[in-house]
Amino acid sequence: MIFALETSCDETAAALVTHDGEIRANVVASQADLHAQFGGVVPEIASRRHLELVLPVVRQALSDAGATLDDVDLVAVTRGPGLIGALLVGVSAAKALAWTRRLPLAPVDHLDGHVASLYLEPDSLEPPFLCLLASGGHTMLLDVRARGSFGVAGRTVDDAVGEAFDKGARLLGLGYPGGAELDRLARDGDPEAFSFPVAKLPGLDFSFSGVKTSLLYAVKKLQPGELERRRADLAASYQRALVRALVERTDAAAQLLGVERVGVVGGVAANSELRASLPWARAAPLSLCTDNAAMIASAARYVEPLPYPRYLGLDAYASAA
Amino acid sequence: MLTLAFDTATRTATSALVWDGEVLGELASSAVTVLEDVDALFRRGGVRPGQLEGIVVGTGPGSFTGLRMGLATARALSFSLDVPLAGVSTLAALAAGSPDALAVIDARRSEVFVLDGEPRVLRPEDVDVRGRVCVGDGAVRYRVTLEEHGAEIPPDPDPAHIPHARFHVQLAERFGLADEVEPIYLRAPDAKPSVS
Ligand SMILES: [Zn+2]
Repeated sequence: MIFALETSCDETAAALVTHDGEIRANVVASQADLHAQFGGVVPEIASRRHLELVLPVVRQALSDAGATLDDVDLVAVTRGPGLIGALLVGVSAAKALAWTRRLPLAPVDHLDGHVASLYLEPDSLEPPFLCLLASGGHTMLLDVRARGSFGVAGRTVDDAVGEAFDKGARLLGLGYPGGAELDRLARDGDPEAFSFPVAKLPGLDFSFSGVKTSLLYAVKKLQPGELERRRADLAASYQRALVRALVERTDAAAQLLGVERVGVVGGVAANSELRASLPWARAAPLSLCTDNAAMIASAARYVEPLPYPRYLGLDAYASAA
Repeated sequence: MLTLAFDTATRTATSALVWDGEVLGELASSAVTVLEDVDALFRRGGVRPGQLEGIVVGTGPGSFTGLRMGLATARALSFSLDVPLAGVSTLAALAAGSPDALAVIDARRSEVFVLDGEPRVLRPEDVDVRGRVCVGDGAVRYRVTLEEHGAEIPPDPDPAHIPHARFHVQLAERFGLADEVEPIYLRAPDAKPSVS
């Protein structure tokens, strides 16, 4: 069995997955509440919390799977990209766990992890496919020809779409992280009530930094009482603009690359309007959209693992090389 | 009793393997490679991780990231090997190596950690160092300021500036559950969200 740790941002996660891609345990301790008061993830607070949670999630994952470390034959860990201090907690713990049993260690890239959330049973997807990765940290269109690798067809040139959701939610007074809350509020609103155009870049790239400014202006133009009444309309219209940008680009990329299958992964893949707008696409199961370690274990199956002792000096990386 | 100790809270990470008071080996490198050192200590000492009976980790204060790497490593080792863990303050280990000296650890942002009855974070110019020998990476970094205030500081390469892990083994008192050994931060986190 594969044991995996993920600590790249604000979820401390451990999972046990078989080499056939069956999830035996998938434990995620979210720190979202801890960061809510700051309106974003505070790296030092996140890193401190990862240290507090790392052993508890390891124990919980083993207990959920009814397993011990003796059942593990491969340790996997997210090496990057992410918050460096947060990543190093997971990398340090994973190296130590592997070393005590002379197990091999698979260093996994976080983006490969998100794509590999589509390779888990019972509903695994076979390449080739186009993968829309949409989260708080990333917005990319990936050309996946084989498991374990991808080419980048398009990416955001500024904010990630999940960031645009969270910033929009904050303008509407929904707190942080507000993407899911905005999704709920949008269901009661009229998506055509306001027009929030999303910048159109040449090629397959995205830009989301401008759209929140148009939301800000719309909010400022309303009287306080009126704002309260039209919050759902604002949420629905804003979400429509973000989702439309994602869907249009995804369709264009699928045509350009000549692929029939489309996968959707990352935290924003949990958005109900996005899922409904791409009915032919395969969205990751809800439990695997936000950061988790099951996807890291899944990706580890397509990585060349480092045998003992080659991983003992392994470092993390904050951003892709 | 076979005991492993390491400390990754300061610029130089140290490790030692000790059997009933006898130091089987000691190494120094960096926080990222401390497990390479630990592995080498076991191979050179002709012992196996399964023979380990106690682990001691430096609990800082020092670099927050380095400190956490040590704690995460120690907790995972303790859990996986089912061996009890003890924590020893990095300042205490430094002081144990130079009993008459004042241990001074770099706290970044123009501050240092010192043992003044209890661990404190101070500006180097506010530490009472007149006529005292100062050791540690903070003493090295703020040599000019500290010497201006009357401190005596051994040359930079002097081994007294490193918290040698054999002292952690000497100072370790309570061995217990891995989660109960806590890092000493002494400073609240900077509450600034990251731009992701
Ligand atoms: Zn992610």
